[in-house]
Formats: sequence, structure tokens, C-alpha cells
Amino acid sequence: MTLRRTLAIARKQFLTLRHDKRTLALMLVAPVMAMLIFGFAFGSSAKHVPVVVVNEDRGATAGKIVDALDHDVLAIATSSDLAGAKAAVDRGDKVAVLYFAPGFTADASPQTHLQMVPGKAPAVQVLPPKGAHAQLYVDTTNQELAGVVMAQLPAAAGKLAAAAGQKSPINFDNQYAFTRAKNATTTDSLVPGIIAFAITVFTTLLTLLAFVGERTSGTLDRLRVTPATEAEIVLGYELAFGVIAAVQGGLLLTVALLVYHVLIVGPLAVAALVVVLTAIDAQAIGIVVSAAARRESQAVQFIPFIIFPTFLLSGIFVALSSLPDWLRPFSYLLPPTWAIQALRDVLLRGWGLDHVWPQILVLLGFAIIFTTGAIVGLKRSRA
Amino acid sequence: MNTIQLERVEKQFGAFRALNGLSLRVQQGELYGLIGPNGAGKSTAIKIMVGLQRATGGTAKVLGYGPQDPQVRGLLGYMPQETALYPDLTVTENLDLFGRLYGIEKEERQRRIAELLGLVNLSDWAATVVTNLSGGMQHRTSLAVALLARPKLLILDEPTVGVDPELRASFWAHFDRLRQEGTTILITTHYMDEALRCERVGLINHGQLVAEGTPAELMKQVKVQTLEEAFLAFAGRNKANTEVSA
Ligand SMILES: Nc1ncnc2c1ncn2[C@@H]1O[C@H](COP(=O)(O)OP(=O)(O)OP(=O)(O)O)[C@@H](O)[C@H]1O
Ligand SMILES: [Mg+2]
Repeated sequence: MTLRRTLAIARKQFLTLRHDKRTLALMLVAPVMAMLIFGFAFGSSAKHVPVVVVNEDRGATAGKIVDALDHDVLAIATSSDLAGAKAAVDRGDKVAVLYFAPGFTADASPQTHLQMVPGKAPAVQVLPPKGAHAQLYVDTTNQELAGVVMAQLPAAAGKLAAAAGQKSPINFDNQYAFTRAKNATTTDSLVPGIIAFAITVFTTLLTLLAFVGERTSGTLDRLRVTPATEAEIVLGYELAFGVIAAVQGGLLLTVALLVYHVLIVGPLAVAALVVVLTAIDAQAIGIVVSAAARRESQAVQFIPFIIFPTFLLSGIFVALSSLPDWLRPFSYLLPPTWAIQALRDVLLRGWGLDHVWPQILVLLGFAIIFTTGAIVGLKRSRA
Repeated sequence: MNTIQLERVEKQFGAFRALNGLSLRVQQGELYGLIGPNGAGKSTAIKIMVGLQRATGGTAKVLGYGPQDPQVRGLLGYMPQETALYPDLTVTENLDLFGRLYGIEKEERQRRIAELLGLVNLSDWAATVVTNLSGGMQHRTSLAVALLARPKLLILDEPTVGVDPELRASFWAHFDRLRQEGTTILITTHYMDEALRCERVGLINHGQLVAEGTPAELMKQVKVQTLEEAFLAFAGRNKANTEVSA
């Protein structure tokens, strides 16, 4: 094996990109688009959920609660027509109606009784509040929106109580294991996943298409009649795609920084290593899978099998612990699962090689296994 | 020494037998033409010779080695029937890539590329991306790739398909020149005027060698005046045989 031939194969990949602007654009624009779409769609919490408040409270408490609601999260309309408001929910125009009955403040206040016992002076007896009930009429067909509305009420009540100087008998004080990630947002924890996802999906896809092209056009045969070995061909491809992935990863992090101001606290070199290994894994898988496709149109049919497991099982959105027990082992067979964990550890927790070496070792192990598989597969196709 | 030696080679694709005991020998320095109807097994035989496919029976030797022996790599030039070029690379970049894979040093590589571009008359198209070339031009580029390493053995699968008559003549002049320099050449073709220029011709049909000899010998065997008629006679006779035996 010579480095020279490996480099020649890698060089070919870059020259191809120079003339094939569409693929180059796909390589650079598509991951960024994935980052922007996922980041905005999943990273932003619900806003402007339409609700109606029907406030018949004769006192002031209900009004204070309504004021304490987050008016950014809820788009609050007021109405005096309870039946009409409920009809709006039934029609699907509003998500919920919040109704305060006339006695709301009274029921929320301590009850006072004037005790009139014959022969004694009248005494004032104070009893605990009767308990006020606000009524929520809610459409639960969209769980995300319904959940937001339902979470808003206790939060507002809590704020009100705190403002009134009432002390809760039970308090929780947070301390932060990773102080720099104290204010981490959903987007912050999504970005490592999106990077691993984008690199995995696009690298596999492009390798798959490139290799099916090599096989069907006859160029692979032609390469194999030269002194170039299968190992040199595969490693040449890996070299090229590794470099491309590093560029993609850098670009994604830059976009994440500029657009979302994401948190990056760990060593970028370790993150880059994870990204490159992820690409090598994805790339070798692409080569192995390419053997099963006779044409590019068939290769395209494999795309869902690459996207869905990566999307759903690798822990981007669904934590591994939330997966059913029988499904979880499959997660551990996916390289992006390990990549995402490693990237989160590095970018958010600020860990270095001393902590993430196990994940890196696993990614390296996958790289060796899949690369060997790709080389052996190519050799065996000389049947 | 035989540069190519196939002994009762068989190739089975599932239930279909593409090569059925094919034996042929090509001597060193010879210009050998392989002819036969579509689907006769010419390309399959060639793929076995260059090590891209393995025979399912019989033995094959090329330059004294098994065709899949790494020693053979780099000693032979192969032009596949399909164009087999990188469509998004220019003519020069395609040639340069293969030059690098053959380990040809930079200056030598550049000199040979310029020379070959002249031979296939593509000097003006050197910087054009292959997709933008006409079919015949792509074919010419493909031939240039096969010639690049100046191999001892050239195996060319229909090198002149889609090439205009003038260039075809210059290709054959080049093949003659190479042979005089000692290169062994095996060529497949459907043009009988090209077969006539070969020293020996092997005619295969249904995966078997049905006739072999100089063009004159072949015509004499079936008592005809043209190689065309000889081709039809042999191809037809063999078909009749297989129908009887089937
Ligand atoms: N990979 C394959 N799988 C199945 N059958 C194949 C395969 N390759 C070739 N064949 C069959 O083997 C036979 C010989 O094919 P081959 O390409 O060698 O013919 P050929 O003599 O080169 O024909 P042509 O003059 O058209 O190029 C054909 O019937 C073809 O269908
Ligand atoms: Mg053929």
C-alpha cells in the first residue's frame, strides 16, 4: 500500500467537487439548512398559544393570575361569553378557555366567621380558604400546545404567591454540576446531535451515490486494474470525506455560534476528532451498502434506512433512557449515538480526551470494523 | 511464453453459463482479435483476463501469473467496453489520476498525457469535463487511459466503437506501432476490416472458441472470400450445433 495512491484517490474526490458544484453545494448548504431547520423548529419553545380568559371573579385574584401568565407564550384574549369561548375551542380556533367563577377571590381567601354565641361577646373565627378552582377547558389533540397551557397556570400561581411574600413550606434549590452550562437551552443540547446527524446522513448519502457511480460506470473496475488496491481506494475516500466532514463540522459550529450563540466550552480539537471519526464510520457504511444497489435510483431507496434510525435512535431528540428496553441495544450499534454523546460532553460539559476516550475508542472501533468490511466487500466483488 | 493462456475456462452466472470451456492462447508480441456475436462472452473472457472476475472453472494465466495476482496489476492496460471515466473530471484530470495510480512521475506523466492527447486528437479538449464530450471523444479518452502506463499487454474491449474513420485509421496505425515495439495486444471488435488487420483471430460463440487462425485461414476453412462470410458461417454453424446438442 502506498500513501501516494491513497492521496491520488482523495485528490480525485476534491477535483470532482470542483467541477460538480451541485454536490459541493449539497455538502455545504444542506447540513447548514438541517441545522437551521432543526434548531429553530425544535429549539424554540411554543409561542403565542391562543387562549381565551373568561374572568367573572368579583375580586382581584383572578386578574392578578392572568397578569402573571407569560404573555409571550400565551396569546390571551378576554371574553365574557363562556359558552362562546368554549365553542371557539371546539371549532379548533383556540387551544383553551380559562374560566374564573365569580367567587374565585372569595374562595381563595381565608374564611372569616363572626361567631355569635349567646351570652358571649361576638368573636371572629378564621378558617383556611375554601379553595378556589379555576376551570381550564382545553384541547389536548396537540399535546405540545396543551402542555404549555397547563404548565402556565401553576407557574403563574407560584409567581403570585412569591410576589405576595408567602413562603412555601418546601423549597428546591438548584446547584449546577457544569456551571458554564447553567443556562444551557434546548438548542444548546440539540446542536451536538444535529452535527452528528448531518455528518452521518450526508456523508453516507454522498459516499453511497459516489460508489454506486464508481461501480456502474466501470471506473471502479478500471481502478482495480491499476496497482491501486482496495484498501488504498477505501482509505483514499475516507481521507477525502474525513476532511470534508471536518469542514462541514466547522461550518455547522460557526453557524450555531452566530445564529444561536450556542455554548461551546470544550476543546474544539477533540470535537473535530469525533466529527472526523463519525464521517469515516458513515463513509464506510456507505461503501458497504453501495454493493447492494445496482443503480443510483436504487441507492436512493436506502436513504430512509439511514435517516430514520439515526434520527430516532441515536439520542438527538429522544434520550436513550426513554427508549424501550428492546430497542436500546440497536442505539448502541449506531456510530452517531456515540458521536452525539461525545460531542455533548465536549461542547457543553467541557470535557476533553481524558473523559471522552471511551466514546472515541468505540467510534474508532466502528471505523476499523466498517472499513475492513468495505475493503473485504470490494475484494469479494471480484468474483 | 504465452502472454495470455486460457484453458477450458468456464464462467457461470447463476444458471447461465457465459463461458463454456473457452481455451485460447495469445503469444507475446501478437496482435490478437477476438470476434463473435453479441453476448458470445468476449467481455466476460476479458474481465477474467484482467482479474475483475474469477473463472468458475478452468485456468487462466496472464503474463505468467494468475489474473488476480497483484503482480499483474500495472503490467497490463485495459480499456473496458463501457466508457468508464469520471464524468466530472476533465480529460487531463482523468488521465492524470490514472497516471498517479500507476506511479508515473510528474514530468513523465505530463509528457505522456500531452502525447496521448495528440494521438486521440483531443489536445484542444484537454480541459473539458468528460460529461461535455461527445460519445466518440469519451471513447478516445478511455483509450488514452489504457495506453498511459505503456503496458506490455494491452486488452482493449471494442476500442473503436463510435470513433470516426479517420481516427480509427490512426488508432490502428498506433496499434501496429505498439506491436512492433513488442506490446502484446488483444482486441475485440465487430468491424471485420479491423479483424483482418489482426495476426490471428479467435471467433467465440456461446462461450466457446469455434474457430481460430489467421484471417486467411478462417476464410479458407469455410471457403469464402470475406471475413464477414466466415463470421456468419462459423457463428451459424455453432448455433446449429448447440441446438442439436441441447
Ligand atoms: N454479471 C453478469 N450476470 C449475469 N449474466 C451476465 C453477466 N455478465 C455477462 N452476462 C451474460 O454473459 C453473456 C456474455 O456477455 P459478454 O458481455 O461477455 O458478451 P460480449 O461477447 O462481450 O457481447 P457484446 O459483443 O455485446 O459486447 C451475455 O449473455 C450476458 O448476458
Ligand atoms: Mg462485450
